[in-house]
Amino acid sequence: MTNAPVIETNGLGKSYGKTNAVRDLDLTVGPDRITAFLGLNGAGKSTTIRMLLGMVKPSGGSGAVLGKSIGDPAAGLDVRRQVAYVSEDKRLYAYMTVEQMIRFTSSFYLDWRADVVKTLLKQYDLPPGQKIRSLSKGMRTKVALLLAFARRPELLILDEPSEGLDPVGIEDLLQALVAQCAEGTTVFFSSHQIAEVERVADQVCILHHGRLVLDASVDDIRQSYRQIDIVFPSLPAELQVQFQLAGVENIRTRGHQMNVFASRNADAVVERARDLHASSIEVTPVGLRDIFLQKVKEN
Amino acid sequence: MLWYKSWLETRSRFMISLLGSVALCSFYVYHWDKEAMPYTKPEYYYYGLHGGHSLLCVLWVLTVTLLTMGGLLRERAAGTAPFTLALPVSRMRLMATRVSVGVLQAMALVIFPWSAMFLIGGLTGKTHSMYQAFFHIVLLAGGGIVFFGVAFLISSLVEGEYTAPIVSFGILLVVGVVLGNGSLRGYSPWDFIAGADYFDRTTGLLIGPIPWMHIVVSILLGALFVAISAKAIQTRDF
Repeated sequence: MTNAPVIETNGLGKSYGKTNAVRDLDLTVGPDRITAFLGLNGAGKSTTIRMLLGMVKPSGGSGAVLGKSIGDPAAGLDVRRQVAYVSEDKRLYAYMTVEQMIRFTSSFYLDWRADVVKTLLKQYDLPPGQKIRSLSKGMRTKVALLLAFARRPELLILDEPSEGLDPVGIEDLLQALVAQCAEGTTVFFSSHQIAEVERVADQVCILHHGRLVLDASVDDIRQSYRQIDIVFPSLPAELQVQFQLAGVENIRTRGHQMNVFASRNADAVVERARDLHASSIEVTPVGLRDIFLQKVKEN
Repeated sequence: MLWYKSWLETRSRFMISLLGSVALCSFYVYHWDKEAMPYTKPEYYYYGLHGGHSLLCVLWVLTVTLLTMGGLLRERAAGTAPFTLALPVSRMRLMATRVSVGVLQAMALVIFPWSAMFLIGGLTGKTHSMYQAFFHIVLLAGGGIVFFGVAFLISSLVEGEYTAPIVSFGILLVVGVVLGNGSLRGYSPWDFIAGADYFDRTTGLLIGPIPWMHIVVSILLGALFVAISAKAIQTRDF
């Protein structure tokens, strides 16, 4: 097993007229882990995924999936053989039945697992003879997930996979993602559901206005990100400069209180606060939700 | 399995088109023959069959245009393009399958209604010559490829489930009007598929040799439109 990145982009960009959907994106997704791609609606997540799969041509930069260039159509065919993808809309052919959809899709892949199809049809309670057009959005999502999970791909890309699913469906999905990863599939999924991401992801990338504003492992986030609330007897404006240390992402002041948001180096901030005779110092770990909001507001 | 997808995608439209064309053309010829018997001359029946062919030409162009509407742009409008494009097949192969299925269906929409008209003519007492039937079929099947190509091109350039057929019909109408009169008439694909240039009003038959060169040019023109469509789809973002 190699540690070569499964997805790698260098300065990848896409613009539509004057609008930059994705800007100068340097993204690396490691193998055998679950990487979440977080961002607000319109952040550029789907465009990035579509560039990786050859559906959208990049305006600039380069990228590779499973070591194959995304700009090469012939390599793209190879990539698509090894990648399972669930699109944002989860739209499937309305004129086919669930069974026809499964038969059609299975014909393209050598790694198809009929036993998994059987199990998932039962688990998801899908009616094989029913036309896709008559299924609810949640059921359609389940068919799309079944078509992806029925394979043993090297890379599983899911664009907002939980959209349209009920809580039970979301729970099943998250468990399935973990199971896929345990079987050796790299999972890359986009979402704006932070709670889901926090539960299953090993790595988190946050995209905002087409730019990558965070790329960190969930463990690193848990260990390094801290909110430090400091109270001073008096808080002159120039004191803020004293806290502009490495790792400090944001400083806010209100009255005698200063809130420092640090991605690392929290100890140095605490020490500086003590040196400056802070009357109270409180250090709290930061959740992914706070980091996400911080990054989005900051940018 | 792409064939299977293409077939399922167009099956309803194709069957309705086929049954409708067979029924309308058969009814036209049957009705004409019934009215004409027993005192009319043979050319009267030939007029009837040629009239049936003219009706078939209009139906064929309309139905083939509707059948050709599809492909990745329509899939984008329907939201299924990401699924299709994630399959390990090239855009070229997707298009080639669509063209092949489309051409086969277009040919069936010439041959079956004509066979029905030929049969009805025979059953009602007047058999048309095989050569005349063949002449008509070749004109429509060969010359009609231009219409197929135009519709295919429009479906690859214009997005929207209804916009593309409306634009296609608009273009066909303009072509009919602009090339339908005066010195440009010889270039009208409508007149060509209907056999207007080869129709002898005194005998009610198509005369002269089958215009193979003209048919080849029509097929090449249709192929050119399909090639332009392929280029457009290859470079498009989905």
